[in-house]
Amino acid sequence: MPSTSIARPENGQNKGLFNNTAGLSTLITVTVLSLAWLAGFASRLFAVIRFESIIHEFDPWFNYRSTAYMVQHGFYNFLNWFDERAWYPLGRIVGGTVYPGLMITSGTIHWILHTLNIPIHIRDICVFLAPVFSGLTAIATYLLTSELWSRGAGLFAACFIAIVPGYSSRSVAGSYDNEGIAIFALQFTYYLWLKSVKSGSIFWSICTALSYFYMVSAWGGYVFIINLIPLHVFVLLVMGRFSQRLFVSYSVFYIVGLLMSMQIPFVGFQPIRTSEHMAASGVFALLMAIGVLKYLHSLNPKGQWKQLLILGGMVAAAAVFMVVVLLTYMGVIAPWSGRFYSLWDTAYAKIHIPIIASVSEHQPTTWSSFFFDLHVLVCTFPVGLWYCIKNVNDERVFVALYALSAVYFAGVMVRLMLTLTPVVCVLAGIAFSILLDLVLREDDLPMPPVDNDESKNLYDKAGKLKKRTHEPAQPLDSGLGMNVRSGTMIAFMILLMLFSVHCTWATSNAYSSPSIVLASYGNDGSRKILDDFREAYGWLSQNTAEDARIMSWWDYGYQIAGMGNRTTLVDNNTWNNSHIALVGKAMASNESAAYDIMTMLDVDYVLVIFGGAIGYSGDDINKFIWMVRIAEGEHPKDIHEADYFTERGEYRVDSEASKTMLNCLMYKLSYYRYDSGGSPPGYDRTRGALPGNRGFKLTYLEEAYTTEHWLVRIYRVKKPDEFNRPRLSLAKRTVPTSNTLSKKTSKRRKGLLKNRPTIVKGKKVGRLE
Amino acid sequence: MAKLKYSFLFLLYVLIKCESTNVDTISSDIRLKNVDRTVDISSQLVKIALKVTLENTGRSPVKNFLVAVEKSAKENLAFVGTKDYNNKDLRLVETSVKGYDYVKLYRVELKEPVNGGGTGIFTVDYVYTKALIPYPNAISQQEDQLVKYTGNIYVYSPYYIASQKSTVVLNTKTIEAFTKLKPFTQQDSNIVYGPYTNVGPFSEKELNVHFKNNSPFLTVTHVERLIEVSHWGNIAVEEVIEIEHTGAKLKGPFSRYDYQQDHHSGPASVRSYKTLLPASASDVYYRDANGNISTSNMKVKKDSVELDLRPRYPLFGGWRTHYTLGYNVPSYEYLYHSGNEYLLKMRVVDHIFDDMQVDELVTKIILPEGSINIKTNLPYPASMLPISQHYTYLDTKGRPVISFTKRNLVENHIQDFQLRYTFPRLLMLQEPLLVVGFLYALFLCVIIYVRLDFSIHKPEHQHKD
Repeated sequence: MPSTSIARPENGQNKGLFNNTAGLSTLITVTVLSLAWLAGFASRLFAVIRFESIIHEFDPWFNYRSTAYMVQHGFYNFLNWFDERAWYPLGRIVGGTVYPGLMITSGTIHWILHTLNIPIHIRDICVFLAPVFSGLTAIATYLLTSELWSRGAGLFAACFIAIVPGYSSRSVAGSYDNEGIAIFALQFTYYLWLKSVKSGSIFWSICTALSYFYMVSAWGGYVFIINLIPLHVFVLLVMGRFSQRLFVSYSVFYIVGLLMSMQIPFVGFQPIRTSEHMAASGVFALLMAIGVLKYLHSLNPKGQWKQLLILGGMVAAAAVFMVVVLLTYMGVIAPWSGRFYSLWDTAYAKIHIPIIASVSEHQPTTWSSFFFDLHVLVCTFPVGLWYCIKNVNDERVFVALYALSAVYFAGVMVRLMLTLTPVVCVLAGIAFSILLDLVLREDDLPMPPVDNDESKNLYDKAGKLKKRTHEPAQPLDSGLGMNVRSGTMIAFMILLMLFSVHCTWATSNAYSSPSIVLASYGNDGSRKILDDFREAYGWLSQNTAEDARIMSWWDYGYQIAGMGNRTTLVDNNTWNNSHIALVGKAMASNESAAYDIMTMLDVDYVLVIFGGAIGYSGDDINKFIWMVRIAEGEHPKDIHEADYFTERGEYRVDSEASKTMLNCLMYKLSYYRYDSGGSPPGYDRTRGALPGNRGFKLTYLEEAYTTEHWLVRIYRVKKPDEFNRPRLSLAKRTVPTSNTLSKKTSKRRKGLLKNRPTIVKGKKVGRLE
Repeated sequence: MAKLKYSFLFLLYVLIKCESTNVDTISSDIRLKNVDRTVDISSQLVKIALKVTLENTGRSPVKNFLVAVEKSAKENLAFVGTKDYNNKDLRLVETSVKGYDYVKLYRVELKEPVNGGGTGIFTVDYVYTKALIPYPNAISQQEDQLVKYTGNIYVYSPYYIASQKSTVVLNTKTIEAFTKLKPFTQQDSNIVYGPYTNVGPFSEKELNVHFKNNSPFLTVTHVERLIEVSHWGNIAVEEVIEIEHTGAKLKGPFSRYDYQQDHHSGPASVRSYKTLLPASASDVYYRDANGNISTSNMKVKKDSVELDLRPRYPLFGGWRTHYTLGYNVPSYEYLYHSGNEYLLKMRVVDHIFDDMQVDELVTKIILPEGSINIKTNLPYPASMLPISQHYTYLDTKGRPVISFTKRNLVENHIQDFQLRYTFPRLLMLQEPLLVVGFLYALFLCVIIYVRLDFSIHKPEHQHKD
């Protein structure tokens, strides 16, 4: 990391060499930030260089598809877009069920570039949006940290966030998702909030609200902001740090932010109707009450106002709380959602909402992934936190709360590691900056007062408390010898170097796989690309009817819609659990029961992922147990999870597997005619077993396409006339035709014999039989 | 006076032209002494080559003769061409004869007239598309594809033919059925009809051949060829191609197991095909809407670049694919200039695969911004589309786009068009100057902003002391 090493001379050189420190530090700041941007951008390009400029994974495909739709049809058509290609036969109102910030951002960039006659395809804008925004995040982090501590700490934080794996995991080129821009919005909103708390100016509060509005439009994680800021205010109130600045900034931010957040169709009235948002209104009411009490207090400063103030505050808080509880019981305010409960009770989702638990990124975080995603920062950020708490002021209360809550949430869900990463970078930046201050003090020992003045100039945004940190530190520091200092320096430089090496390695190896293109390496190092997903989706898009309906597990819904351009039944927007359960039930039932469900849902093709031929572990058989669980949740009479396990409770596919398992649709579609391929014929390399049910035939479906490495298998659902027809010998087939002919002729002949109708009747009945 | 003379001549020319293009007569002086016909139906195309010995029984020299196409085959005709015994192309003009409106006729204009009593030898090539009908029209994965050819046993000509012989070339010995009109012989994969003597003009007798044909039946349903000329030394070519397998449709399932077990499985399917690009082609890309198609190979040969293109999936009957193929060629090979006058000479359509048939072609040529006096010269008639504008990097008023379209093309249509235009060379400087000017303005703004103080009121205590 060149930028971290540049950050060091910034602190050192300023001390004596140049008098024009402001100009020089601006130059260094700009240089370091642009280098951080560059490094962050470049380290996210592994996937593009190794593969190509392509959208990754699952959700990004939906975002890309809707962005392309918006660019093509215009913003208003996008907001009114009813997507009949998804959730057949229900459809999906995309404009009202999506955070449009991402699409609007890339659509705006596209529009600007095309106005300037720069014909860049919207796909490339989408692919490179997240890396570009990582640079903006670095700048926002710099601003936030310099607001909290000092510009030097800010530069450290900016460099950390630019390359840290915890953030780049969500923002590599091609991972076109809400998080990519939302972290920038998050950091920038926090920066503006601190700015407004510090200054108490309406201007900064409005800016905070605007930035918050952008965040609301971009990501569902805005709930974190709208709970953290009230928490900050509340804690400040409890600490007795009420001020006019706080009053102005919070009330302006709350009102403007609330009104603006309700403009997003997907959010709508949620900010005033759901429990998740009630903390903000409660704190607002409390702040108003305390404001009133303070005002009354100012009218008559004498007397027992202090006790009244405390009492009144507590009464007001209790009243607000009671009102919220009451409204919740009355049904005006929606209670906490299941996703929210799963944040407090990690076992909640497993029992009540299997669909949330089935996603790997909703699992609790392991210790190793903290280290993997944050490396040395996870060890150093408590230092920064300790310094912030030790030298507390209004802003540092905020960062402490931010850190504590983010640590908790990151521990609950792997996915929320993303919200922890920025604050860890901020605090680690502060810690490293303090450390460098201590170690590099040596030069200034002969003239400590000058140093203090200069540091005041340099860190012009730090508060008075800054000085206090130095003063108690100095006597400690002066005891350090030359060798200790240089030793510490070298050790920390090595740490930082290891950090940057780890970041590059983690980004390159763990987070830069497009996951729709797989690569395998031969013994000679040659690379072989397994392009089965695109092969199958390409086949679907070209060789099936325009309105064909594809049934697959919800993981592949967005990809089928995005790459195959065909109608899906369920997709990654898992809003309708019962519909998903129906698909799960079809997959878990035997062929004829599944056929009933499939005809009910008008399914034309069924798509399954089968990794047995190449040893791909993320295939449908491995996910199958979740399909069963979700189906059981909705159809407990028909599907029983225990049926799919062996008697000893094992999940197997070989001959010891349970009968239900061997005859369910998913099993059959995965292993159909696979039994004689491969080197030990029909060996499943993913499960390491020989399938138990082999050589079976399909009655209701036929193989429509299987990709080169058997990864994607597509089956066509037969129409009723294709299998219901009994097999007749040739001789029999001719009988009815001759019969009707003779019937007609005989009828004609008998037209004369009107007097004998009974005989004709008897004959007719006999023929009908 | 001279003016009058010229205008008179012009009028005369126009008159002759009008008459000659519209109506011809069948000269009774012409007799075809001998015709050797080869009907090649081994690929998806029907290629008929005639070797005609023409005799002038009259006295006056013959300057042109007529070539006819049957009414039934009129729709399928993609190309017709004539050569004389020196293998030089002769000019063909579409014409008609009174009383034979249903026949498609071409007049061949000879370079050297055939004198009275003399003979001349010519070759006539016809290429028909979609004349081979798969029968049955749907087959399962393992079956061979059988096709039916319906043609004419006799050579169709407005003239009396003294002697004629036809050879039907197939690529297989598996012949289900064929018309047997004596004398005929069947050797290996050929059927020879004739010689038939003294056949009158416009005689027709149906010829049917039903045989196995597993050669790729691929139709390019639409190709858009975009040529972007840059005066900085590069010509970018991009083709957006839609291909459909128009042979017998796939009936029943596609089994990957069968397809993998046996390499002869799916005999009528197409796994890959070869596209030849110009020898100087570089930076080749092959992709579709979902990104690169990673299954392709490129071989650089002496006189061409050979691309072995594999679609994402094998193409069975009725399956389609869609892709974009692009490359760059250096402009000095195709762009000639003298002063401000430029001449672009490139192919109207390029090779996509052997024995290709193209339903519809749209060729677009993007010229540099500021090109004027554009004149297009096409090797064969095609319908010109209106000139449009294209905007790309650093364009201000747009680049002219010349486009034309043509239906039903085959390999014989791979010919050069010529495009003349004027481009003031000074305009080359426009785009660099635009960048320079923009940066200059930007820096100037920054300088002004930094040097001058725009604040309304001075803050009480500044950061800088």
